[in-house]
Formats: sequence, C-alpha cells, structure tokens
Amino acid sequence: MRAENYEARNHPPSNEFEINFGPNHPGIEGNYALKVKVHGDEIVAARADGGYLHRGFEKLMEQRLWIQNIALVPRICVPDPAPMEVAYSMAVEQLCGLEVPQRAQWLRVLLLELSRLAAHLFTFGGHAATTGMYTPMFWGVADRDLLLDLFEELTGGRVYSIYNIPGGVRRDIPDDFLTRLSDTLDYIDSRLPDYDNLLFTNQVFVRRARDAGPVSQAQALDWGVTGPNLRATGLAFDVRRDDPYLVYDELEFDIPTEQPGDAWARTLVRRGELLQSIRILRQVIDRLPDIGGPIRAPIPNPLAWNVPAGEAYVRIESSKGELSWYVVSDGGDKPYRVHIRGPSSMHAVQVLEHLVTGCRIEDVAQIMFSLDACPPEVDR
Amino acid sequence: MTDTEQFPVRVEQPDRNGGNIFSRVFDELTAFCRSRSLFILHYCTGCGAIELPPAMTSRFDMERLGISPMVSPRQADILLITGYVSVKTLKRVMLTYEQMGSPKYVIGICSCTVNGGMYWQSYATAKKLNDYMPVDLYIAGCMPRPEAVITGLRQLMDKIAAGEANGWEDYYRRYDYYLGHQQRLFGETWQTPTDVIAEARHYGLFGPETLGDHTRLLEQHQAPLEALEMQLGLGAPDEVKA
Repeated sequence: MRAENYEARNHPPSNEFEINFGPNHPGIEGNYALKVKVHGDEIVAARADGGYLHRGFEKLMEQRLWIQNIALVPRICVPDPAPMEVAYSMAVEQLCGLEVPQRAQWLRVLLLELSRLAAHLFTFGGHAATTGMYTPMFWGVADRDLLLDLFEELTGGRVYSIYNIPGGVRRDIPDDFLTRLSDTLDYIDSRLPDYDNLLFTNQVFVRRARDAGPVSQAQALDWGVTGPNLRATGLAFDVRRDDPYLVYDELEFDIPTEQPGDAWARTLVRRGELLQSIRILRQVIDRLPDIGGPIRAPIPNPLAWNVPAGEAYVRIESSKGELSWYVVSDGGDKPYRVHIRGPSSMHAVQVLEHLVTGCRIEDVAQIMFSLDACPPEVDR
Repeated sequence: MTDTEQFPVRVEQPDRNGGNIFSRVFDELTAFCRSRSLFILHYCTGCGAIELPPAMTSRFDMERLGISPMVSPRQADILLITGYVSVKTLKRVMLTYEQMGSPKYVIGICSCTVNGGMYWQSYATAKKLNDYMPVDLYIAGCMPRPEAVITGLRQLMDKIAAGEANGWEDYYRRYDYYLGHQQRLFGETWQTPTDVIAEARHYGLFGPETLGDHTRLLEQHQAPLEALEMQLGLGAPDEVKA
C-alpha cells in the first residue's frame, strides 16, 4: 500500500465487526464464503457468498451433444459425482423411452452406494477436522482411498467415473471385483468401532456437536432441507424408498433417523447410512452374479442422436440429499434446457445463514460440514 | 529522466557461475534449503482440491518431502491453484498471490488452469492461468492423481534447488503484461492494495516492461484506498450491547 493512499478513518466500534469467512479459509468447505457480522465471538448476522465456482453448467450443457454431456455432469458435485451421471442418464432414458437392462441397474446401484460410502467417509473426516480432531480426518481420507481404488478398477477413474451412459453402463465388472469389494466392505465394517471411539462417542466431539445448528422438523420442511439433514430431524424420508428408482425396491435397507436435528444428529444419521450402504452393497454382491444379460441398451449413433422432444424430471437420493434433474429436449442433438436442483443450494445458502446466526464463530465451520453442503453444486 | 533510467534494470538471469564463490555457495545452499521446506497455500478453486487430502494424508504423505499445508498466504511459499478459476475466484487469487512473500511459486493443477479444460467455452471461467500470473509448473490431468501431484511437487523442488523457479520475478519484470490481462477480464478500474511497482523497485526487478499502457491506466483509476468496509446490507452496527 502506498503511503499517500492511506487515509486514517474513524472505524465503527470494534466490538462488532464484519469478517470474511472464506473463500480461502481452512474451515470452509471448498471455495465458498460466508460474510459474518460478529459481536465478540457471537455471530449476529451472516450472508452466504457463493459464485466462486460458477461455471454455467446449465448453459454449457445446451451447447454439447447429449453424449458429450456425460463427461461434463459429474463435475457438478466433486465429492459425490456418481449420482449426477446416473440422474442425467435416467433423464435421457426417460426422454427416449429406453429400457435399461437389469444388470446395468444393479451396477448403477453398486456405483451409487460406493459413492455414498466414499462421500460420507470424507464428510466425517472434514467434520472431525473442524472440531480440532485430525486423526479421523486422516483415517477417513485413507479409508475413502480404498473405495477410490475400487472405483478405479471398475470405471478407470478415481474420482470422476463417467461410468454411466444413457442406456446402461460402460463396462461390466472385472474378474473377482466382487470379492475385493467384499473385502473392502469387511475392512470398513471392522473400522467402525475405531471410528466410534475416536469420533462418534468421543466426548470432545459430542459436546461440540450437540446443540450446534439445530433445525426443527417444521423448519426443515419449510426450508427445503432433504437427505440426511432432514432425517436428522426425525422424518424418515428417503427417495430410494419413497419413490424407488433403479432396483432399490428389491433391496432391503432401513432409513436411519435421529431426533434433535443438530450437528450431532446429522452425523449420527450419516453413520447409520454408512452401515445401510454396506448392507445394500452386500446384497448387490449376493445378487449380481445371478443377473445376466447385457449391460447396455442399444442407442443410436451418439454423434447424431436426436432425442425425442419432451421433458423429463428425475429425482434420486445423493449422499447430500434429494437431487433432481429437469431436462427438456426440442428434438435436437443437444438439450434445449437443463435445470439441476441440487440439495446443497438449499443447505449452504438459506439454512446455513439461519443456523450460524446466533452461534459462536468457532462453530461456523462445524455447522457447514455437518450440513455436508457441496459448494460446486451450489454454484454449478 | 524516465523511471527505467533511474532504476537499475536486471532482465537477464544472474550468472550463477560467476561472482564471489562464497556468495555462490550461499545462494546454492539457500536454494537447497528453500526447496526442502515448502508451505503450500492451496486455494480450493475447483475440483482438483479433492485429490489433495489423499496427497497430504497418510497414503501418499506429502509431508515426507517437507511440504505441508499452510493457512495464511503471508507465510506460504506455494500457491496451488486446484482447478478452474472463475472470474470471481481469480480476483481473490490475484489478491492472495500479491500478498504472498517472495520467493513464491505457483502451481496450476488440472487441465482447466492450462487452457480452460472442460470449461473452454464457459462464460464464467478464466482460461489460461499464466495470462494473469506467472506459473512455475502445470500438472495436467482432469484431475491429476495424487501420484502426479507428488511428482509435480518433486519437480518443483528440483527447479527451486536449481534456481530455475523464478516465475515470481517475471511478475515484477512484466507487470504490465499481467495487469493488461487482468484489466481485460476485470475491467479498467481493477486494482489491488499491493503496490507491485514499488515492490519491483524494492527487489531490483524493475524492468522496461514493468510499466506500460496498462499501468498508466491503473494510475488513472487508482483511487485512494479506503478502510475496508464491507457492504453486506446487514445494517449499521448495532448499539453496544450491555
């Protein structure tokens, strides 16, 4: 700063001031910002400041072929990319009236639940780190890496799998993949007592997380909260069960719910979902070898593929909440209009603003991570 | 007398084999030590940030190379740009970059920083990172694996030890060029609190290309800096609570 540019000013009383929480901040999840006004260390007002990750997906998709968009859509939500491509593929299938072979549907469930496991492990790690406990973060990331190895084996990509295409999936499982998957699930199962000791029943964590950012059930329904955050308020709503897609109606799983709706309850719901995902994956391991048939329905030449005019609305349950896609085709080779209703845009903007107001500044990061919002999906 | 005549110009690289032997040994030792203790400020600008936790934690363990994360730009050595930068983010990246103390190194991770990558036609992203700041190393890939990140960091360490990672000097020597690109993206009135030209003089890096049309434009628009006052619309400060 040049000396001649500096001008002393009368600042407002310094007991109350506004600070930037993010975008470049170790406590914020991704490239996202909160502008908060603090009084002492209590937050009196907050405003979410997104847009740092805006890429204009909905516009970009209008300029690319239906098949090219497959490579684009997983980038919308980085920690949990699989639901995006599944939802987009399902929307295109709905427009074309394509019947997806049974085996492809089971493989999609496999991918979705693996992705959910990986996303939840990552969230536990992040949430623990915001309360000052770094060991669960190291463990969560390391265990997630085992799942990423499975992704790599199955799809060729560690994070962005690009495994689904409209009509089915790109390739079948490798030899002995299910055995390795089963071993990995056993390992993660065996790690849970350690996680319980370290995180879920650890008083350091419990006392911090309990009563942090409470949401009542009525508020949650008003604000459009979905997914684990809604189930933490006691409402057992899960798109997988209430509006089944793929083969979820053939699978047995419970919907974990918790009562108070605070950060602690949200974490416990995710822990329950981790177990349910493992349970679903075990059923997939049992059933998949008996399901034969193709993995892909025949589609026309993808480079000159005119999808029939119409509109499709698809909703599925991602690890963050209810994810919906609205796709309109005018009969051309590119989408006419695409809209994505991501769960995080509700969680990270309106809900977060409400929840951090009145809490203390050290709980902001924790509340954000407990909502499991995904900034790239907020901004799109 | 122009500024260029008034201040010494050092455009070419210093001769590493000439000069006093003691200063040469000292320089080499400094470069070696620098390369073995690096603090990363990773600004999670995009997708690539998701491969950094694996690279930093137990499995790939960046810390065995003497590289560890740092939360504040003032103490960081490496600015890691992890993925596409939208225009809004790039402003913050520029502010962060100019806050960092020299010598500083920039690594662009992911294809998006190289040429726009997946978002080459997006209206919201900046395409080539090296138009806006000097980039010492690119790690291409969408997204690069942790192994690639570690290999890239090792290459940067080698470059630093060999005294070749001098991108930050280029920012001072050709400030006009970088500022021109920034102005094209952010508008003519773009300015940062950092006085890059004065810093260029301080480091002895003031060159013929430091000043130019764009810095003249900057001087025209450079308003006196005001004390930071955020306009959140959150209302005036409340009365002091009892």
